[in-house]
Amino acid sequence: MFKLNILAFLLVVIISTVFSAIDVEIENKNIDRTIDLTSQLVKVSYKITLEHKSKKAITNYLFLIPSVDCDKLSYVSARDSAKKELKLTLSKTAEECSYSMTLPNSQIPNPVIYIETIFSKALQPYPTEITQAERQLVRYFGNAVFYSPFKTSSQKTTIHLASRNVESFTQVKPSVHSDTQIVYGPYENIPAKTQNEIVVHYENNSPFMVVTRLERTIEVSHWGNVAVEETIDILHSGALLKGSFSRYDYQKDSRSGPASVKSYKTILPASATGVYYRDTNGNISTSAMVTLKDSVELDLRPRFPLFGGWRTHYTIGYNVPSFEYLFHNGDSYMLKMRLIDHVFDDMIVDELVTKIILPEGTKNLKLITPYSVERQPDTLHFTYLDITGRPVITFRKTNLVENHINDFNIKYNFSRIMMLQEPLLVVVFLYLFFLFVIIWMRLDFSIIKERERLHKD
Amino acid sequence: MVQLKTVLSKFYDEYQNNTPKKLKLIDAYLTYILLTGILQFAYCVLVGTFPFNSFLSGFISTVSCFVLGVCLRLQTNTQNKSQFIGISPERGFADFIFAHIILHLVVVNFIG
Amino acid sequence: MTETLIKSKNPNRVTSHAGISSLIVFSVLLMCWIAGFASRLFAVIRFESIIHEFDPWFNYRATAYMVQHGFYKFLNWFDERAWYPLGRIVGGTVYPGLMITSGGIHWLLHLLHIPVHIRDICVFLAPIFSGLTAISTYLLTKELWNTGAGLFAASFIAIVPGYISRSVAGSYDNEGIAIFALQFTYYLWVKSVKTGSIFWAASAALSYFYMVSAWGGYVFIINLIPLHVFVLLIMNRYSHRLFTSYTTFYILGLICSMQIPFVGFQPIRTSEHMAASGVFALLVAVGALKHLQTVLTKQEFKRLFIFGGLAAAAVVFLTVVGLTMAGVIAPWSGRFYSLWDTGYAKIHIPIIASVSEHQPTTWFSFFFDLHILVCTFPVGLWYAIKKINDERVFVVLYAISAVYFAGVMVRLMLTLTPVVCILAGVGFSGLLEVFLKEDQQPVNKEETENEEPTEKKLYDKAGKIKPRKHDSNKSENKGLGSNVKSMVVIAIMMILMMFAVHCTWVTSNAYSSPSIVLAFYNQGDGTRNILDDFREAYYWLSQNTNDDARVMSWWDYGYQIAGMANRTTLVDNNTWNNSHIALVGKAMSSPEEKAYEIMTSLDVDYVLVIFGGVIGYSGDDINKFLWMVRIAEGEHPKDIRESDFFTERGEFRVDNEGAPALLNCLMYKLSYYRFGDLKLDYRGPAGYDRTRNAVIGNKDFDLTYLEEAYTSEHWLVRIYRVKKPHEFNRPALKTDERVVSASEYITKKTSKRRKGVIKNRPTVIKGKRTATKEKTN
Repeated sequence: MFKLNILAFLLVVIISTVFSAIDVEIENKNIDRTIDLTSQLVKVSYKITLEHKSKKAITNYLFLIPSVDCDKLSYVSARDSAKKELKLTLSKTAEECSYSMTLPNSQIPNPVIYIETIFSKALQPYPTEITQAERQLVRYFGNAVFYSPFKTSSQKTTIHLASRNVESFTQVKPSVHSDTQIVYGPYENIPAKTQNEIVVHYENNSPFMVVTRLERTIEVSHWGNVAVEETIDILHSGALLKGSFSRYDYQKDSRSGPASVKSYKTILPASATGVYYRDTNGNISTSAMVTLKDSVELDLRPRFPLFGGWRTHYTIGYNVPSFEYLFHNGDSYMLKMRLIDHVFDDMIVDELVTKIILPEGTKNLKLITPYSVERQPDTLHFTYLDITGRPVITFRKTNLVENHINDFNIKYNFSRIMMLQEPLLVVVFLYLFFLFVIIWMRLDFSIIKERERLHKD
Repeated sequence: MVQLKTVLSKFYDEYQNNTPKKLKLIDAYLTYILLTGILQFAYCVLVGTFPFNSFLSGFISTVSCFVLGVCLRLQTNTQNKSQFIGISPERGFADFIFAHIILHLVVVNFIG
Repeated sequence: MTETLIKSKNPNRVTSHAGISSLIVFSVLLMCWIAGFASRLFAVIRFESIIHEFDPWFNYRATAYMVQHGFYKFLNWFDERAWYPLGRIVGGTVYPGLMITSGGIHWLLHLLHIPVHIRDICVFLAPIFSGLTAISTYLLTKELWNTGAGLFAASFIAIVPGYISRSVAGSYDNEGIAIFALQFTYYLWVKSVKTGSIFWAASAALSYFYMVSAWGGYVFIINLIPLHVFVLLIMNRYSHRLFTSYTTFYILGLICSMQIPFVGFQPIRTSEHMAASGVFALLVAVGALKHLQTVLTKQEFKRLFIFGGLAAAAVVFLTVVGLTMAGVIAPWSGRFYSLWDTGYAKIHIPIIASVSEHQPTTWFSFFFDLHILVCTFPVGLWYAIKKINDERVFVVLYAISAVYFAGVMVRLMLTLTPVVCILAGVGFSGLLEVFLKEDQQPVNKEETENEEPTEKKLYDKAGKIKPRKHDSNKSENKGLGSNVKSMVVIAIMMILMMFAVHCTWVTSNAYSSPSIVLAFYNQGDGTRNILDDFREAYYWLSQNTNDDARVMSWWDYGYQIAGMANRTTLVDNNTWNNSHIALVGKAMSSPEEKAYEIMTSLDVDYVLVIFGGVIGYSGDDINKFLWMVRIAEGEHPKDIRESDFFTERGEFRVDNEGAPALLNCLMYKLSYYRFGDLKLDYRGPAGYDRTRNAVIGNKDFDLTYLEEAYTSEHWLVRIYRVKKPHEFNRPALKTDERVVSASEYITKKTSKRRKGVIKNRPTVIKGKRTATKEKTN
């Protein structure tokens, strides 16, 4: 009976959500869409002005992304007119991913929503192979109109490009190309779920680099230090290098190899000290560090320039003082650090594995992350003077961009007496060592005496 | 030839009379090992040295047992006391055991 | 360790005197260790904790493999990344002592949860072992002479450049631990000769076992110790102690040494080891005779001696000759011949001669590596001869043989260094004993012990020396005037100071370059620039080529490619297969077309050459090129001739007067590809080679069969990709020709092998043979 009740309740909820989702009387009054194609990412921001035909308050809104783009979508956020973050609920169907959001129950007649989405790997190099001297051309596949479950009365799309060179773009009248910008629209009265594919083929020499794997290890010491180490695999995902790499051409003309990546900047926390940059063969001697007011900027040069399809792998590490990140109240502590940090501007991270090594003897771990991550089983890590091992929290996430740089929190209990364990261990060890030496000396003595006695026999 | 015979018989007599019991014991051990060694050598000549490492480890272990035995005999012999200062028979025996431990560990490893 | 040893020396007297002297010994040795360790760190401080040079990279790679996969897997490791397509059985062709040592340290530290990276252990192993070497040198010298001399010797060996050259941090090579093993074996040997104890002899055998596992130089021990025994026998110094120690040492050492897979049955099969067994037999015979001597009368003994001795000698001689003839005992290997006849290698084995460390030593390098010790060690030698006894015979023999070997090969300077330190220590100690003697004191030996260590401690910090010295000298003056005494002492101090300064200077300037990272100083502002081209290129290889890509390069770089780039190589520094190296040499010295045939037959994907023309790096492949030609000529005399690569006047030059064979060979093209366009200077001509100071002769050429894959920033390393047959454009006719000549190339090899059989078949007409030759050319 009780179960049945619940079922009935669920049914009601589902039906009501479905109904609210397709409240046909909602209309997109005006849409301003900006597609930023200047980097390797596709950043789309929307300004959506809504209207309800029967002047009712709009409580729910549905934002759709066609399923072809679903995998490429790495980040989405929505804000209301007061720039307050709206909570998004994802549900997937065969043709689209829909994000539903609940609007604050205000009586504004035309509420405004700001949505920001970032797609990674949505730009395809075409041709896929270029020689060293050639520029890199890419294609963007998009939609001339806003894909929405609602009817749209008026909309306009602005595309920002990386350069003036546009090989071609699909004409959907009215559409204008001027300088580094293409404007589609304004279009009036577009019915719901309209798709009108466009292709923009243009030159984009900005670095196309993907961090294929980033392993971030954070080791917390209660002696006042947090050590961070990142092991990074980078792939140049732009057009592949065709033919040979000529050092002569590369040196002769600094503009040669426009699509290659010579160096990039990594931004570390301002308090970072003891920075190192190395790979399996040792230090990479070509990097410069600039300490700015609010950050440390590393100018990293890989051992070799990265051309299309080339990879590199390195480790970067630094220390930060723990008082900036570790807070405590009695025996309960909270660590607040970045889940992922900046590697280079407009970065794409395919796979992130973050490991947090806490001091030996911590209990009652609780991890709070700003977005969902895939938590791996906890392990133990042994280092200097450990007996029971340090707990390691591991989690994983795929497809991240710069907007994912955010803090996680770990709460745990740690008794301060445990801090004495390590010095005590050293003391005990030294004590035993000296004791051993003393006994050893005595023993040695006695053997010789015995021997001498034997001699006398 | 006759002279040689007299030499040998004299040698035998002197040995019987002038050698302490301890040394005789060691000598018996040495003779046994010598015979083993000769047997092994005969085997290798007649049959062959097929698992060469086994043969080698066997033969060398015989030789080294013999040699170590001789060393022990030298050290325990009271006549040689002046040459081995600081080495009592007990110490000599302990050393002998030590060397044997090493030897047999290695031989066991080598015999395969 | 040392403390207990000292204590055991004077067990019952715990007088303050003994306590102080043992404290001084302990602290001097500790400081030797620290000083030795510190002076080896130049490279780490200037650059970083990194493995140096060539062989250490292999050792490091093998160690890392062992740490990762375990010891048994390591012993059975078949490395398919080396000597493609042959592969290499690493476990059986390597002295594993080094890897086991550092692997053991790694294991121990990790057991204690100390997460030290295996690379750091490898880098710092040699400096740490230098401290142990100093201690064992101290012990050895103490046995030979006295404590004072021992301390001198220990502090000499801690900083002497001749030893530092092989043991700086990062130089992770066998010699680093082998010198310790060598000294320690000698110490135990001397100790066992002195006492006649089985224990010491067995320990010597164990230490010898460690040495065998660590370095091929163990042959030096197994010949020197029998020589010592032999000379003692000749000098009529036979004793039962000698019998005990040698027989025990030999037989245990023999079976232990055979446990190393790489050594295998060599100790009973090769001539290098025969001296030891001969001496063993001799010693047993002598022992038996001596025994009989005690039993029998003189006359009887004589008869028996003559009869038995002759018979035994004949039997031994005949067996050895017979076995050598039958091939059971291998004749002496080439490297050993080259020890006797310095010209041998040059004529017969170019691959040995091509290594710079196998060249004869120059006088300069004696002084450079040993400085003042070279002058003072004869003094010590003379002391030793003057007051000869059993163990000093040993050090005399050690000195003489080591001097000889060091004269033959630069590399063996390393074996000379310890004995020079010992004898120089004896010499200095003797001198100071004369000049610092505080007369009429029965315990003056203890005094000198006190004095010398203070000097030792001080000559690192020179400032404090003089006042103390004056004090000690002014107190007593008998025999020699105090002025003379103090002058001599000051002179000795000065010499020692100069020695220390020289050592530091040499270490810092000559021996502390990792050679994979080059540094140069700007002339203007003195800032340091780092050329990291090697690692740049190797890292490129490791990241951007297929995992199974095969890289052809000259053998010098084989280990580095395997270690840093983790790619398959054709030849490497373990030069066991001369014909394979010759094949690579042939490919490098043939024109591109013919080289391509060789490269396809060897499945080469990339070719790597080192080119120093842009920055003026002299150790590049063009400068090594003549060795490639020579080695190739040794195996393929028909195809490659050294004379072709010289101009008519017999010069080796790369400019436009150079020999056409040189200007068109693969190595030349790969080194200078597109270099002709490069202008290094504003005013200078394009294509000016800074290493050879010439404008290159063949500037304008293109590569058909290869393409530039990567060139490092300063052009030091150039990597080319070998194109697949479908990737280059050639007329169809030529492709046919290629197939034909490729098959011809193979038949040539087989025909060469069966020279006698096939040679009769074709008519030997001169014209015809030159015709075939033209075709192949």
